Amino acid sequence: MEVVVFACQQAVPDPEALKSLWGLADVRFRVLPEPCSSKVEAFQLLRTLATPVDLVWVIGCEESLCRLAEGSQRAGGRMAYTKKYLEEIGLEPARVGRTVVTPGDQAALRAAVAEIQDRLKSLGASPLRQAPQSAARRAAP
Amino acid sequence: MPAKYHIHVRRVPPRFTPLAKNAIIDWSEGCLRCARCVKEQCPVDAYRKRGFDRTQFVDTIDEMCRDCYRCVQGCPRELIYKVVNPQYRQLGDEYWTPEILSATWYQAETGKIPVSGAGYGGPFSGPGFDSLWTDMSEIVRPTRDGIHGREYISTSVDLGRKPMFLLFDEQGDMAWTTPPLLELPLPILLAEPKLGPNPRGMQEIITLAAQNLGTLAILGRDQLVPVPAQALGQIMPSYSAGALELEDPLLSQVRAIEMLDHPALLKQVEVLKKRYPQLLVSIKVPGDEKVVDRVAELTAAGAEIIHIYATEKARGLGGFQDLHLKDLIRRCHLRLVEEQLRDTVTLLFSGGIALAEHVAKAIICGADGIIADLPLLLALECRLCRQCTKGGNCPVEIDLLTTKRGAQRLVNLIGAWNNQLLEIMGAMGMREVRRLRGEVGRAMFLEDLEKEIFAPLFANRETELQKRDPN
Repeated sequence: MEVVVFACQQAVPDPEALKSLWGLADVRFRVLPEPCSSKVEAFQLLRTLATPVDLVWVIGCEESLCRLAEGSQRAGGRMAYTKKYLEEIGLEPARVGRTVVTPGDQAALRAAVAEIQDRLKSLGASPLRQAPQSAARRAAP
Repeated sequence: MPAKYHIHVRRVPPRFTPLAKNAIIDWSEGCLRCARCVKEQCPVDAYRKRGFDRTQFVDTIDEMCRDCYRCVQGCPRELIYKVVNPQYRQLGDEYWTPEILSATWYQAETGKIPVSGAGYGGPFSGPGFDSLWTDMSEIVRPTRDGIHGREYISTSVDLGRKPMFLLFDEQGDMAWTTPPLLELPLPILLAEPKLGPNPRGMQEIITLAAQNLGTLAILGRDQLVPVPAQALGQIMPSYSAGALELEDPLLSQVRAIEMLDHPALLKQVEVLKKRYPQLLVSIKVPGDEKVVDRVAELTAAGAEIIHIYATEKARGLGGFQDLHLKDLIRRCHLRLVEEQLRDTVTLLFSGGIALAEHVAKAIICGADGIIADLPLLLALECRLCRQCTKGGNCPVEIDLLTTKRGAQRLVNLIGAWNNQLLEIMGAMGMREVRRLRGEVGRAMFLEDLEKEIFAPLFANRETELQKRDPN
């Protein structure tokens, strides 16, 4: 299984530290640092999920602490839109998720990792992994 | 007049989207739906062409964007931002900076000189090679335009021992056989980097690139892949200390070899040269505190080529770990000048040569040529994540790269470096890279300028202070 986390660089200043919190050897955990959680657009979340990845997560700052003022708020709106879209097309909206933390709050990051792990356990592998089309796409160079 | 040496570059697109320096933050929510959106006016049409990279999960718009800021400035609701990409900032390390990596990728893709735009926004000087400037006072002479000029600028260098004098017999013929000399069309040799997920594949790529460029590929003899017969002249097998066997069939097939320095080396070279007189021998010496004396000793004993290696961050080894490569080169070069032996031997340097300007600056400091290693790996899209050293998977799958594609990217990189060398020499009014060696009269060193300009100022200041307060 694979989890991709888009992490705002303010909220997660040290992506390696976040990776070290993971601890599940059989699940690939990728942390992609982003300048702001609002950099991640809905199409990016959906296409990441279609790769297929089993869970896509966004970690951003609390809305009042966003350095771009509205960035975290907009990221929240996009997340809601993506969930709604997934629901409409008959996929599990819980495959995408978002956590907001106070920049530098290690306890909140640990809690976020625990939440991601719980969510992954409850959902299991992505049904897209069984789809022949996606399997072929994944195998393609 | 011989044909100009020309490197045939050809665009080789990257297999993985290169990480862009800046990222676009596009807040489409709240858009006014202008009749003519700024996104439609993008000069490179990035908003329409943007896609999604499935392997890296990145939006390809950042790589396409040329940083013109037209959209950022034009959006009436100010919904588009440009910010520094943190993934780009994390590339490489403090020496192999993200800028070096991205410039290398660009050159390997296009074979063109990277142009950063109008003006230079960087610092006035820096450590290492950045504390050395070349005198470009001839930059306005059109005939010496490096790449397209009418006058030919030669980048050829000779590898081997040059006799101090010639001796003729009564018939006017040479009284002795002159030592072998190998002319390379450019002062850059290729060598295997210490990193990389597929060393055997890398050897094949470097060999093919060396063949196309007409230079030499230095490859470890222990793990050497089978080399095609037509490429044998372009490889320089490298032997570890004491590993050379006279019966090695490769010795009669190649033009030059490299041997790691060890106490009994000179005796071994003597025996080798008796059996293979036309074989050039390069001696690989660590750039530590003993290097200057050792280079002088080896040269006096008749060494043909000496390869001095530094760390990958352009620092000396052992007691010289604080010494920059440029100072290491200067010390070795000047010692041989003092001993009146400099012209007899070829000095090659490796370690930390990261940019085209480092080639020219190393030669100005006294090198005859340089050996490129790590930049060759970067040319194959390496991110310098060093996962390969920890047994991890290569994120850009260098192990799956075809030899032909990889070799062309190396040719492109060296083509771009060679063009920059031509530009520098053209601007300096030089027509021969051989004459650039040790030509410090056409260069300025920060430490010299500080001594000449700031030292007297501070000396006066101290005198003034003493006058005011003699105690």
